[in-house]
Amino acid sequence: MKRLFGIFVNGLVVENPLFVIMIGLCSSMAVTTTVANGIGMGIALTFVLVMSEVIISAFRKLIPDSIRMPVFLIVIAAFTTIMDLEMKAYFPALSKSMGVYIPLVVVNCIVMGRVEAYSSKQPVLDSLFDGLGMGLGYTWVLLALSIVRELLGNGTLLGFQIMPSSFEPMIFFILPPGGFLVFSLWMAASNSLRRRILTSRKDDAAQQSCCTLPADGTAEKA
Amino acid sequence: MKRTQMFKLGLILAAYCIVGCVGLAFVYNGTSRTIAQRQQADLQAGLKEVFPKAASFKLTDKVKSTNPKIVVDEAYLAIGPTGTMGAAVKAHGPSYGGDTTLIVGVSMDGTITGVKILENKDTPGLGANAANPSYYVNKATKTTFAGQFAGKKLTDEFVVKKDVAAITSATITSRSITNIIQVVAKASADALGIGGSAQDPKAVLPEADTIRPAVTPVTAPAGVSISDTSVGTKAGTIVGAVATAKAKSYDGDVTVMVGVSTDGTITGIKVVACTDSLGSSILTADFAKQFVGRKAGTPLTVGSNVDAVTGATFSSKGATALIQQVADALAKALAGGGL
Repeated sequence: MKRLFGIFVNGLVVENPLFVIMIGLCSSMAVTTTVANGIGMGIALTFVLVMSEVIISAFRKLIPDSIRMPVFLIVIAAFTTIMDLEMKAYFPALSKSMGVYIPLVVVNCIVMGRVEAYSSKQPVLDSLFDGLGMGLGYTWVLLALSIVRELLGNGTLLGFQIMPSSFEPMIFFILPPGGFLVFSLWMAASNSLRRRILTSRKDDAAQQSCCTLPADGTAEKA
Repeated sequence: MKRTQMFKLGLILAAYCIVGCVGLAFVYNGTSRTIAQRQQADLQAGLKEVFPKAASFKLTDKVKSTNPKIVVDEAYLAIGPTGTMGAAVKAHGPSYGGDTTLIVGVSMDGTITGVKILENKDTPGLGANAANPSYYVNKATKTTFAGQFAGKKLTDEFVVKKDVAAITSATITSRSITNIIQVVAKASADALGIGGSAQDPKAVLPEADTIRPAVTPVTAPAGVSISDTSVGTKAGTIVGAVATAKAKSYDGDVTVMVGVSTDGTITGIKVVACTDSLGSSILTADFAKQFVGRKAGTPLTVGSNVDAVTGATFSSKGATALIQQVADALAKALAGGGL
């Protein structure tokens, strides 16, 4: 149980898909202009990630190595379409405002990367927790980005006016450059936390996967 | 060996596809009705919003867009207690960050009854304010960007920052949407049979006291279609001629009415319509005014002796070329006599 919890926590900070592995940035930059979109996208990706990881992990011995990519894509595309349809039916406003980024979850590097690097080799339960951890790691980053961007760029949170009416919205934060600025500030905070976590548990650094970066920070310097 | 291996892999892939497709079919079956209902409800609410007085809406296929980039999705006739009251048209066209979908309502008297923006993909906080119900272009009267079009006459100029209030820091969005609204509204008016609102030729030939149709039509230059030629007289003598002509412009058509006096001077210009993307801004009187007093036969070039309208250079060029051709043809016809 402790091991599974470790896998889950791993995705939150230490191997956060956005801040550490640094994949799937494109859609995260595009949807985080409002908090509602950030939450929606986070949940959507978490659902697709968890379902795909579980299914692929369960069938991993039945997937021939030479055609694993097309099979992964079929599974991911099926779950993305399911989610797209459900959102259109039950959350039409959210689905409209996220537009093309929901169908694009199919080619999101995070899903493809975790399926290829993790769940195609690991048992179902591990994959489930990895999917949850990675998905939640992605969601909290989107939430953090979108809270700052919507509050400063539009003066609202979840569409409610927060800032006093004298506050002139800083449109810079809504635009891509502001997105990168907020992203990098959060990344600095998250990575400083990550380094502290890693130094406190230096002893079990033996568990290294393809996506684990050296704890001493050499990868960042490189 | 290799062939059997290939066959096996193909079969495995097919098996995964089949399972995936069957799963999707079930989900689709479960959600398609809800999705269709929701879209239908959205549309009905939108139609009702742009045309509050109508009792019901009847699908029609008569509304045709004049611009290839602006597409009419669905057109409805608004039916009231006394018959057709107008049209409500759902259409989409290009804006800053992708297509914008909107509904425009036009009543029988050539007035826009309302505009609702259904979908806009422009920058949040800037262009996306076009669809924001709490973003007011006029804070005093609480008028939204789309709301300002309600009650607007189709004969208005539709020029952003002149008779249309722009969204702050989103001029391109404002211009694009204004243009879509204008093209769709005019197309609806054409379909309702109230479109070809006759322009008064006197407006471009102020000298004349009587206007009569020309005896022989003016020969149109290649690529130009002259729909209407009339002759202006003062105390029985011909003082000039007026022609309404249409030609291809940037990606749509431009229609102008040109007045020329007997000595070949342009007495007046009215740009009647322009269906180019972003082209509606050349309908402004300032653009037409600069041609007055020019002699037919002298070259008119945008950038040297003609000023283009900002944001509509290609349409300005198209209109200038057409004005020149029509003015030349009219001057020639006047000199030849027989009008």
